[in-house]
Amino acid sequence: MTGRIFNISELTVHDGEGARVTVFMKGCPLRCEWCHNPEGLSFEKQLTYKRKKCVECGLCRKECEHGECKPFGRCLHVCPNNCLDVCGKDYTLRELVGILNGYGKITEILGGGVTFSGGEPLMQWEFISEIIDNLHGMNTAVETCGYVDGKIFRQAVDKLDFIIMDIKLFDRELHRKYTGVYNDIIKCNFRILQNSGKPYLIRTPLIKGKTDGADNLEKIKDFIGDSDWELVPENKLAKSKYNMLEI
Amino acid sequence: MKTYSELKEYIINRKHRKLRRKIQVNLAEEFHTAGYTPSERMTRRFELMCREEKPVVFECERIAFIRTVQNLPEIFTADEWNEIKKNHYIHELGFVSNVCPDYGKILEKGLSGLKENADSYSVRCLDALISLVGKYVTEAERVGNTDVAKRLKSLTERGAENFTEALQLFRIIHFALWLEGNYHITVGSFDRYMYSYYIKDIKNGILSKTEAESLVEEFFLSFNRDSDLYPGVQQGDNGQSLVLGGLDENGNETFNELSQYCLKASGNLMLIDPKINIRVHNSTPLEIYEAGTELTAKGLGFPQYTNDDIAIPALEKLGYTHKDAYDYVTAACWELIIPKYGCDVANISALSFAKVIDKCLHNDLSTCKNADEFFVCVKNEIRRECDSIADGLKNLWFVPSPLMNVCMGCNISNGGKYNNFGIHGTGIATAADSLTAIEELVFGEKISASELIEAVDDDFGSTPELLHRLRYETPKVGQMSEKADSYLVGLLGAFSDALENKTNCRGGRFRAGTGSAMYYLWHTDEIGASPDGRRAGEPLGTNFSVSLFANIGGPLSIVSSMVKPDFSRAMNGGPVTLEFSSDMWRGKDVKTKFAKFIRSFVLLGGHQIQLNSVNLETLKDAQVHPESYGRLVVRIWGWSAYFIELDKEYQDHVIARQEYRI
Ligand code: SF4
Ligand code: SF4
Repeated sequence: MTGRIFNISELTVHDGEGARVTVFMKGCPLRCEWCHNPEGLSFEKQLTYKRKKCVECGLCRKECEHGECKPFGRCLHVCPNNCLDVCGKDYTLRELVGILNGYGKITEILGGGVTFSGGEPLMQWEFISEIIDNLHGMNTAVETCGYVDGKIFRQAVDKLDFIIMDIKLFDRELHRKYTGVYNDIIKCNFRILQNSGKPYLIRTPLIKGKTDGADNLEKIKDFIGDSDWELVPENKLAKSKYNMLEI
Repeated sequence: MKTYSELKEYIINRKHRKLRRKIQVNLAEEFHTAGYTPSERMTRRFELMCREEKPVVFECERIAFIRTVQNLPEIFTADEWNEIKKNHYIHELGFVSNVCPDYGKILEKGLSGLKENADSYSVRCLDALISLVGKYVTEAERVGNTDVAKRLKSLTERGAENFTEALQLFRIIHFALWLEGNYHITVGSFDRYMYSYYIKDIKNGILSKTEAESLVEEFFLSFNRDSDLYPGVQQGDNGQSLVLGGLDENGNETFNELSQYCLKASGNLMLIDPKINIRVHNSTPLEIYEAGTELTAKGLGFPQYTNDDIAIPALEKLGYTHKDAYDYVTAACWELIIPKYGCDVANISALSFAKVIDKCLHNDLSTCKNADEFFVCVKNEIRRECDSIADGLKNLWFVPSPLMNVCMGCNISNGGKYNNFGIHGTGIATAADSLTAIEELVFGEKISASELIEAVDDDFGSTPELLHRLRYETPKVGQMSEKADSYLVGLLGAFSDALENKTNCRGGRFRAGTGSAMYYLWHTDEIGASPDGRRAGEPLGTNFSVSLFANIGGPLSIVSSMVKPDFSRAMNGGPVTLEFSSDMWRGKDVKTKFAKFIRSFVLLGGHQIQLNSVNLETLKDAQVHPESYGRLVVRIWGWSAYFIELDKEYQDHVIARQEYRI
């Protein structure tokens, strides 16, 4: 089994208890207008290109022998400035478990652990679940949009130590308008979470004119009751990432 | 100036620089004609400077003394210097530097008390200084600052009796030691030698904690009065390092209320002086790291942390006594020195690991059958380099320093209780990564030795694919690579081995270190490209750092690599420096998480570390609009500086260093 990952980030400080290692899984069922992780949307591998560093030398356009370069029509192994990369790499269980356990000692001292984020990590739950089974006692967390089959969601909640879940919009139609899907499943999954006894955190991104209205925030508050709740200001990094993906 | 805040604005905006003047005298010629000895010259110049200094006292200040003469006239002619250099090894400027005076003794004895057992030169210097203090008394009376007048008057006759006097006396002696021509005069363990004065006043009810806090801040401000006159590689490189906390000889933590005030004062002032170092160990409470992290998050580039658990046993192993080892402080940047007794020259020379690799690549690679054989060649070359460095350090001579002598426990220019030489080591990651690349590609039979040599000599001009592979697809230090890390460990070990049993020209030993200071720029120019894919002219890392261009895993990977070597034989100093984007510090509990991160470095056996908070956009904008960024602070190898005051070369390197973003 393999999992498709677009980044492993160290010393993440906003993804759960302590300073952590965050694994970004590729692919997401939502299409939020404000998405802060555009490279996580598609499950497909994508070419990334750092335009600013490119010196137009043309080396990458010469034909090459590497199989992995074929789909992109560019050679990935020649750029002197490292402008080209593929977003999305397949890891075997063994590979990822090896990498994560390598952090075991330091994350333990840090009081941190590993967080699965994305994209939507629970789209690859089967893989994550196996990974967790092989981690040597690391604290595990997930950042999810909650739009996932209830059975899988329940399994995930059972297995993970901490769950961070987004509730972006309360209104069903607005949710569809801005994220592409209705939020019924998300609401059901929230109840599962709330009744699970697991520690969790609800997050709402504050998007001007979309999610930050008093009406929306009040309704979410009513809905989630006394759950821990964090309002997250719009991420400013998104723009440079869009440029890199050429999308 | 009626209030402290007016004084603060005045100093920060550098208005006090208008008080200065230049003096025109040709002392060197005069001294040469008269045939004076070096000690006589130092004494005469100091006497002259004390006469020429015009006292300035601000009405509201509690800690007086400010330089009004801008220049120190030379004491030797150019010909005389040439003559001296024929027979001696001259370190940097030739004057005593990078030492920590015995402030405890100074505060206790006072200026007149220091005359006990002093030679005639030292006595003359002290007398000159005492008359300058006398002139300050008159001036203080004239402007109506009777408190300062009274304090200064007492301090001409005796040592300090309370906290305010102790701060004032420190200021006088620190001022005077620079005026004598010494430089990089460190501040040492302020929270140790000042504590008894502070606590006595608190107990006697003559000082409130709020007053103490504000005094510390005003004291800190005083380090920024004359610092632009101090010699250094760049503005900011002035050695005013202050040490807080750490274990005492009985194993007790010394971090106290005063230490807290220091961190707070520094955060309030946001000035680059004094530079703060915190001594930590496996039982340092998290709150200390948290207090330090507050400063880092503000962008000051310090504190720097040194691990007692590594430093102290290593010092003892090298022959420092138990008590002295526990008293260690940091020199201008990070080198470990001992107050009072240490006459070590902690930054006398440097080994270029990158050059060693370059030599072996060209001389040995083609004849080696495997990676182990090649590494033996590298170790031998390290030994040869160290031999030649040591051989070049003969007949070390310092200009005598009569005032500094009475402030130390020895005649400092002739050497003292400890006379060890510290040798920096630059480009260790470049070397370890190059060895990894050679093992994987050449001995893994992907390319031949001659192909690699040709490509390196050609600066990879016609081998872009190889360049890409070496730079971005070959394991590096800081990528959780066992192989690269084991070369890192091996290289530092070989450096320590090579210096281990050597004796220097003063009877002391050698200390291997992981610092670079400015050597990283010089050593870059000595060689072309390297087998790790570094192209000609691309700088080696500063201090103990990973490659600048590699796809580094992140801060945890870096730490995992950098705690591995055996520092017990390579303790001279040289921190791991990590840069974080300034927007990363915001958010719930983030500072605590960073505090834990630094603690984990210490618990895993790291030696020294410093964290920076930088914003790339701000730095770039500051290059275009320097006028709007007067107080933007950045960290250079071991000191903080105002960005816009740096030469472009240094600015560019700061920008090039990687930023870790979330
Ligand atoms: S759920 Fe998250 S990753 Fe998915 S589209 Fe929305 S913001 Fe992007
Ligand atoms: S190889 Fe790199 S620098 Fe050259 S054209 Fe391609 S992307 Fe640009």
